[in-house]
Amino acid sequence: MSARVDVKLVNLTIDGNPVRVPEGTLLVEAAKAVTTDIPVYCYHPKLGPAGLCRICLVDIEKAPKLQIACNTTVTEGMVVHTYGEKVDAGRKAVMEFLLLNHPLDCPICDKGGECDLQDYSMAYGASASRLADPKSSKPKAIDLGPTIVLDDERCIVCQRCSRFDEIITNERSLVVKDRGQRDVIATASGEPYRSNFSGNVTELCPVGALTSKTYRFKSRPWDNARTHTTCTQCSVGCALNVDERYGAITRTMSDEDDAVSDGWLCDRGRYNIAFYGDARRITTPMLRTPTGEFVQIGWDDAIERWAKHLRDAVASDGADSIAAIGGGRLLNEEILVLAQTMRALGVTHLDWRAGRQRQASPGAYGGTYVDLETADLVVAIGRPPSQTAPVLDLRIRKAVRNGARYVTVGSHPSDSFVVSSHLARVSDLAAHVESATRVAFVWDGIDAAVGAQAAELAESLAARGTHVSTFVASEQSNARGAEALGMSPQNGSADSDGIFAAARAGKLRVLSLLGVNPMLHHPLGASAIRDAIERTDFVVCTELFLTETAKLAHLVLPARAAFEKSGHVYDLAGDVLAVNAGHTAPEGTLADADMLVALAAELDVTIAAPDSLHAQASAAIVATATAFGDPKFARASDATSETIGSKGDARNGVRIAIAANIFSGGGSVYFDERLAALRPSPTATFARETAATLGVHAGDLVDLVAGERTLVGLVAIITDTAPSGVVTVIDGLPDAPANEFADGETVALANVRSAERALTAGAV
Amino acid sequence: MQSVIGGVVALAKGFATTLQFAFQKKPTVSYPNVKIQHAPRFHGLHELRRYDDGKERCIGCELCSIACPANAITVIGAENTPEDRRSPGERFAARYEIDELRCIFCGLCEEACPTDAIVLTPRFEMADYRRSSFIYSKDRLLVPQDAGKGTAPDERPNGIPSDLGSVIEQKSTVDIMAGYGATHRGEILKTERKGLAG
Amino acid sequence: MPETKVLTAGIGEANLRDLAIYRERGGYEQWRRAVAEMTPAQIQDVTMKSGLRGRGGAGFPTGRKWSFLPKNDRPRYMVCNCDEAEPGTFKDHMLLEETPHQVLEGILIGTYAIGSHHAFVYIRGEFRKGYEIFMQAVADARAAGFIGENIFGTDYCVDVTVHRGAGAYICGEETALINSIEGRRGEPRLKPPFPAIKGLYNEPTVVNNVETLATLPHILKNGPEWFTAVGTEKSPGYKIVSVSGHVKKPGNYEVPLGTPISELLAIAGGPRDGRTIVAVQPGGGSSACLFQEHLDLGYDFDTMAANGTMLGSGAVVFFDDTTNFVEAALALVQFYAHESCGQCTPCREGGHWLEVTLQRILDGGGMHSDIDMLVSVSHQMTGLNLCPLGDSIEPFLASVVKRFEAQFRAYVRTPERVAVPA
Repeated sequence: MSARVDVKLVNLTIDGNPVRVPEGTLLVEAAKAVTTDIPVYCYHPKLGPAGLCRICLVDIEKAPKLQIACNTTVTEGMVVHTYGEKVDAGRKAVMEFLLLNHPLDCPICDKGGECDLQDYSMAYGASASRLADPKSSKPKAIDLGPTIVLDDERCIVCQRCSRFDEIITNERSLVVKDRGQRDVIATASGEPYRSNFSGNVTELCPVGALTSKTYRFKSRPWDNARTHTTCTQCSVGCALNVDERYGAITRTMSDEDDAVSDGWLCDRGRYNIAFYGDARRITTPMLRTPTGEFVQIGWDDAIERWAKHLRDAVASDGADSIAAIGGGRLLNEEILVLAQTMRALGVTHLDWRAGRQRQASPGAYGGTYVDLETADLVVAIGRPPSQTAPVLDLRIRKAVRNGARYVTVGSHPSDSFVVSSHLARVSDLAAHVESATRVAFVWDGIDAAVGAQAAELAESLAARGTHVSTFVASEQSNARGAEALGMSPQNGSADSDGIFAAARAGKLRVLSLLGVNPMLHHPLGASAIRDAIERTDFVVCTELFLTETAKLAHLVLPARAAFEKSGHVYDLAGDVLAVNAGHTAPEGTLADADMLVALAAELDVTIAAPDSLHAQASAAIVATATAFGDPKFARASDATSETIGSKGDARNGVRIAIAANIFSGGGSVYFDERLAALRPSPTATFARETAATLGVHAGDLVDLVAGERTLVGLVAIITDTAPSGVVTVIDGLPDAPANEFADGETVALANVRSAERALTAGAV
Repeated sequence: MQSVIGGVVALAKGFATTLQFAFQKKPTVSYPNVKIQHAPRFHGLHELRRYDDGKERCIGCELCSIACPANAITVIGAENTPEDRRSPGERFAARYEIDELRCIFCGLCEEACPTDAIVLTPRFEMADYRRSSFIYSKDRLLVPQDAGKGTAPDERPNGIPSDLGSVIEQKSTVDIMAGYGATHRGEILKTERKGLAG
Repeated sequence: MPETKVLTAGIGEANLRDLAIYRERGGYEQWRRAVAEMTPAQIQDVTMKSGLRGRGGAGFPTGRKWSFLPKNDRPRYMVCNCDEAEPGTFKDHMLLEETPHQVLEGILIGTYAIGSHHAFVYIRGEFRKGYEIFMQAVADARAAGFIGENIFGTDYCVDVTVHRGAGAYICGEETALINSIEGRRGEPRLKPPFPAIKGLYNEPTVVNNVETLATLPHILKNGPEWFTAVGTEKSPGYKIVSVSGHVKKPGNYEVPLGTPISELLAIAGGPRDGRTIVAVQPGGGSSACLFQEHLDLGYDFDTMAANGTMLGSGAVVFFDDTTNFVEAALALVQFYAHESCGQCTPCREGGHWLEVTLQRILDGGGMHSDIDMLVSVSHQMTGLNLCPLGDSIEPFLASVVKRFEAQFRAYVRTPERVAVPA
């Protein structure tokens, strides 16, 4: 964290090759310089040495016995042999012990074919076992949690999983239970293993002990066709490999990527793949008939109708009667085509905002992920990134592990499993920033006023020489791209609030919604959005599924999801990342870009050549950097949240905090059958004392009421981390859409049903 | 002159050979009424075997599929459930298909199989009118539950399986075993066959 | 050389658990002297000069161990290791129960000597009685002003925390012990870093054995020369030896180091009538056996090491000619297999392997190749582990298989098995 000091280099010899590495380097890392493969099980570059498996033995001259390469630091003049009779004998001995009670499961093991134990037993193992007794038998297919299955017989107790859970996530739920030969991976509490990062342990596991439920027996590694791409589930942009077999995605795996993901994936990015092949996908354009039903039409017909409505609208009411919302879930190239097509028609009402978020770019102090990791003070303002950008949160946990302090501002707990302090307002930060030298601000981009205060603080810190880096963890994965590439209001044109207001006033003739679901996410609330859509002549919606919004549209166009198209996206740190098609899209679907190019052709509009789009997109991010927390992005209706009265009983009024959850949403998660166990159910979370005041017990069913708006049937959860006087509900759940409510408004508690009564009511 | 004599001699030789065979016993048989004995390790139609308790031997490991040089085998695995236990372990083959038109009957699948589940039987009569009917799936490959467990090649007596229809065995003019003598493997097979016969 | 009572003086004669009685006999006088009259450096110097070697097993010079602590003002800790679990050892147990104040005084002196203000005492879970007695001693000492703030009017303050283990043998290993105190799983840590640099709560830590620390007041009282006057040059002083096995009077006997093993045998009453000693394990379960011809060897660290075994924690187990060494080997192997923490592959798997193999040999299902395998597997386990536990099976097993091979072979009823090449 201090200024970079000159690294002292050490000379050593590995297998006769001179090697120069920085002082303090581990031998196992130094050996990589001469491409010597030292086998490892327990060692992992991100987890550090553990010295348990003992397979990485090397022969160091002058050392009395074989040494483990994973915990030996290089010293000047060291002479190391990584192979040879002595080393091979040592490794063979360890290999014999490792394989001694390991079952001969390889034919049915999900790891078979990409298993370190298989590989190294080929390299170092004996061909026959000397064990004359039966192998010890242990439980198989232990259900470790909603995502992971443990095969205890296969486990070689390298502790990578439990160390990941301790060192990387700091959640500390996985431990080694029992001792000696009887030891087993389990959760310390005995509860199911739940973590937003649980899938990583299956990749860390060097054998087939930990396997993913979603991938169990789906295919063998050699069956999979692998495509390297970028995860577009959130704005972090983790490197990802998509494995496909017989036209279906079997699994996704992380990839080494120190700049962005640090090699990890969250469970949403990893496991949210079954929707690609879901039978409910829309595969033909659908037109609403006057009677309200959808009929299937051809693509040419669909594009013609879209173009005709646009042309007619321009001709009759001018371009101001046309609006388009979308871009946050599209690729850079698609955003450019969309913006260019619309602007060519003279349309100015273009916006990417389809949810609560107002701003996506981090302004002049936009930082890199490494800036975040090396900060000594991390401030999360608003919704903490643990649920909106999970892998970013791992960087924060890493920063905290390196000694940083973590402060959250707003009405949400950090959910980060690291020590953090909690403040109500940005102004309370003064004391915390005093001693900090590298400060990172992570903002949710929602409340522009709060963002502006943070920007002011960032500005003053930077002025006195503090290193400041800013980040916006977006709701939509490519919101930053959309904002930079022309899908934001310019020169006073309407944002999405304005567009829907105009629609409700009957001023809109054509509204195009591309990959957005405002019915579920837009803070105007579902009833207002429904009203707006119903009062518009022609609403086009590009979607994967018949979402709440798509159901209301006049024309629904079947789109392609991220792994089905190629292009680029921005991550929240401004990196341009390549997205590559790794899944055969269902027949009948088109990428938004292809629809828009067809539309432009139909409209006789000239757009940039496809080849130049990527270059244009990459240049744009620099040009459109805005300030962090720019007040011009504030919602016109922000003030109304104060004025929205509550008809509820004032005695039991609480402030509502609307939280994110990585498994909420009405699209890919909702239509993913395999994620059912991970999807959150509608809950209302109270602090212990708040619940006591309100007379709510854990498990009760409660309703929240504000005026005419209600949220019905929330299960009460009581925690110690929730702020007092607040009820936290989850945003973006189709079964209980919270977008009718403004974050922070006062709501009343109604119709509290005790757990038992709720049970009987359910039975009836 | 010389060439004329040479021609006559050649003709005579030719006809002599023809005549010689004309009076020998004919190697052709009136198939399908008569079927010829085939080699003990004849590679014919596949069969998926069962264990004694009726469970499927196949665990869906796909090793046959990866071993197959003709890419003729498709396996998709699935997990056994306590209610529906198909094979002894955790995994079974939810789908097992062999495209017998692609198959070159090399027997590598049989060798790759860790549970001796897939074997090549001596059955060879697979003619059909549609190409699609050559894709054999589990319903035709798996030994029916009530038809025993299938026979491993090593346990199989030489001869035509009785279920191939009415078989009139006729001693072939060609000793089918003669060809094996040239190889070491043939020797082993011969001894094994003797052992089995005894 | 006869038995010499130093640490064991008074045991059985007076109730040394009583603070008043202990003080009458000069108790806590050295603690007062240390704090009031000496500097930590002086005590370290005295300890260094005395040549005191650790009594816990490794026999590392205590003064040198202390000298590895970094010279900085970070907090540092003294940990007293009373997790005595080595098979055959029962001396710390006795010291804790019979002379808790002597132990406490030693701990306090050691704590002061390394410049620490906080001592942790890790007591094995099974020592419930010892724990209760020691807790009372700590309470009495605290009430008497020997623990707390401004000891003897100086500005030195010290606190003692007693931690009760849960009976895991491995927690006697210093880093596992530290893990256990911290509330983690009791398994050894990867070294480096060593505890002297990064130990308890990531601070410099010294872990000393009970007997080692209890010796300190005596060295302070009598001077290092008194200590070096007995024993051998490299193994000075007195040692409590836990004698057990086939002797008439098993028990703890305090003797000068270098006393011949035969004399230890005599002190313990000699072998049972009509029996002869055929083997002796001189340093607890982890040490290799010595045999009849070695009985005249002097019992000190270096002589033992020179003869391929070790003095260890001073547990001498005698085996006479009635011993079934197959059963003895199984008992020990079972112990090590059970107590393996399971971290390192060779120890986890090897111990279990040897256990089932020995059990099968005893049950009559052994093969001749099994007996060669016992030696080869136990050897294969050795030197590959993170801590010494995995290396502890080979010495005894290999030495008895070599010496009493006939006993092992006698169990084999099956014909020679075709050996699988290793």
